[in-house]
Amino acid sequence: MPANILKFSLNRCTCVERLEDNTLRSVCTLRDTFTSASVEIVSRLPDLEIVSAQGQFHHEWLKLPDIDGIFLKLKGIRIGAGMLKIISGLIGQREELRQLTYMVEECCQAVIISLTRDILVQAPESEEAKLEFFSNMVRENIRLYNRCAAFAPGSRLVEHSQPPK
Amino acid sequence: MLTFARNKLVSVAALDPETLSIHAVLDDDAYGLEIDLRVSIEERKILDIFGKWNRWTTPECYRAIPFLQEIKGELIDETMGERVAKNLARKGCRHFANLFLECCDAATQALRVIRWENEKVARPALSFEQFLKEEGGREKTVKTTNTSPKITVPLSSCQPQIESHGAEDNRKDGVARASQDRGQGFIIDLHTHTFPASSCSSVCADELIEQARLIGLNGICLTDHNHVWSLAQVEALSQKHGFPVFRGNEITTTQGDMLVFGLEKDIRAIISIEDLRGEVDAAGGFMIAAHPFRGFLAFNTVQLGLTARKAAQRPLFQLVDALEVLNGKVTDKENGFSSSVADALRLPATGGSDAHQACEVGIYATRFFAEIGCEEQLIRALKSRDYVPVAFRSQIRQTA
Ligand SMILES: [Zn+2]
Repeated sequence: MPANILKFSLNRCTCVERLEDNTLRSVCTLRDTFTSASVEIVSRLPDLEIVSAQGQFHHEWLKLPDIDGIFLKLKGIRIGAGMLKIISGLIGQREELRQLTYMVEECCQAVIISLTRDILVQAPESEEAKLEFFSNMVRENIRLYNRCAAFAPGSRLVEHSQPPK
Repeated sequence: MLTFARNKLVSVAALDPETLSIHAVLDDDAYGLEIDLRVSIEERKILDIFGKWNRWTTPECYRAIPFLQEIKGELIDETMGERVAKNLARKGCRHFANLFLECCDAATQALRVIRWENEKVARPALSFEQFLKEEGGREKTVKTTNTSPKITVPLSSCQPQIESHGAEDNRKDGVARASQDRGQGFIIDLHTHTFPASSCSSVCADELIEQARLIGLNGICLTDHNHVWSLAQVEALSQKHGFPVFRGNEITTTQGDMLVFGLEKDIRAIISIEDLRGEVDAAGGFMIAAHPFRGFLAFNTVQLGLTARKAAQRPLFQLVDALEVLNGKVTDKENGFSSSVADALRLPATGGSDAHQACEVGIYATRFFAEIGCEEQLIRALKSRDYVPVAFRSQIRQTA
């Protein structure tokens, strides 16, 4: 087979939309060489609690025993810190469940990033003002300190920040 | 209308019989990035890797690229997810880490296709399904001899952690509670973690206890994650250090982490908060919602419409005996909010460092007003509701 022909390809799209009833609908769809799946999570503001979860999962050789039962377990979980441990603990990490767990997590992460987006749009244009904006962000929330290369010692963004106590 | 969209695309081709070539793109509202890498088919070794930012947020995001380069030479195996979570995600960039793990998973899948194609040379009629069946059988037999290269990569081990922005100083509430001074009392750090009982901790019990004694706490409570200390163990530690050591257990429930006291049962899996409440009641124990708003205030609460009164209506608070309102691992704003919620609920409030290192013990603690000598007395004292959370370390700094 010629080298330019693919052996495997994957497309994953995760979207969040805000619905009128103060809920957020987050949908992750996956299409890859072996899988066709989607997961939808609806969470309610303000506490981002999951009010419903549903989806479908088709795979060339992996079969899920009781997908509705799995989604039922997610009701009431709050999207936020500590959720990954809870989600993977509830769904499990067996091979046939791994992808589904990941898609649920992607949905929940997307909710978080969509809320972060509202803060990011406030970032100013100029380099200097940007440095100030993100330096302030670390100073105000010291948990960001050393959380990635941009906020690690040596970066201009933490020059005037004290490491966490 | 969409408020956020993230698209990811991963393509795997075989450059030649020895090499995979992978191209991946992540594009969302905030970030645009690409990864190109080559992987050896035989060893699953990363031969080279290149990352490229198309769009980014901070002027320092470019610093993540060298951490991607560090992966060159590594093998795609079952520990890759963990390694990426520790290095690329933490030290570099979690968005690159997220996309890189998609690449690893895609490589694993592509190798399966290649193995099938190779088999088909000798057996042209071999269907993919039949090949999988045979390979599955082989994997099972090999697995029992424990030499199978299990190469599924745990994608989720590299999910980005919560972003938390825009905290404002709201320490006042916590300090207000702490300052209801009725003398020194009996001060216990109610929330600590030790290694190896908590794998995330880097301090052993002996060192933590010594440090607690050194800074002048009156007692310490070991609350390792889903771990039951035996009474004999903590009594032996207490004897050894001549210092009161108590035991609790931080149990992960569907509604977050709970600090429980007086529960002997070993609970390892995620449990519903209702079930845990039942267990604690049956044991006559006590249950505190640990760091109830950790990461909760990451966003603009006005934007979310979150008020203390609304938050107090969360059903979980009907099931706990107290709230931890001073926790050493959350922001002042989150502690302040917890405190307001505890007030709204008229629930007692506690403090604990959530120490994972010796230097963290006693940052926050709980002041009781009578001496506590044993576990039974601790639980009775907790039920009496007569205690306040204290910012212990900053208080001793002030008096020094
Ligand atoms: Zn803890």
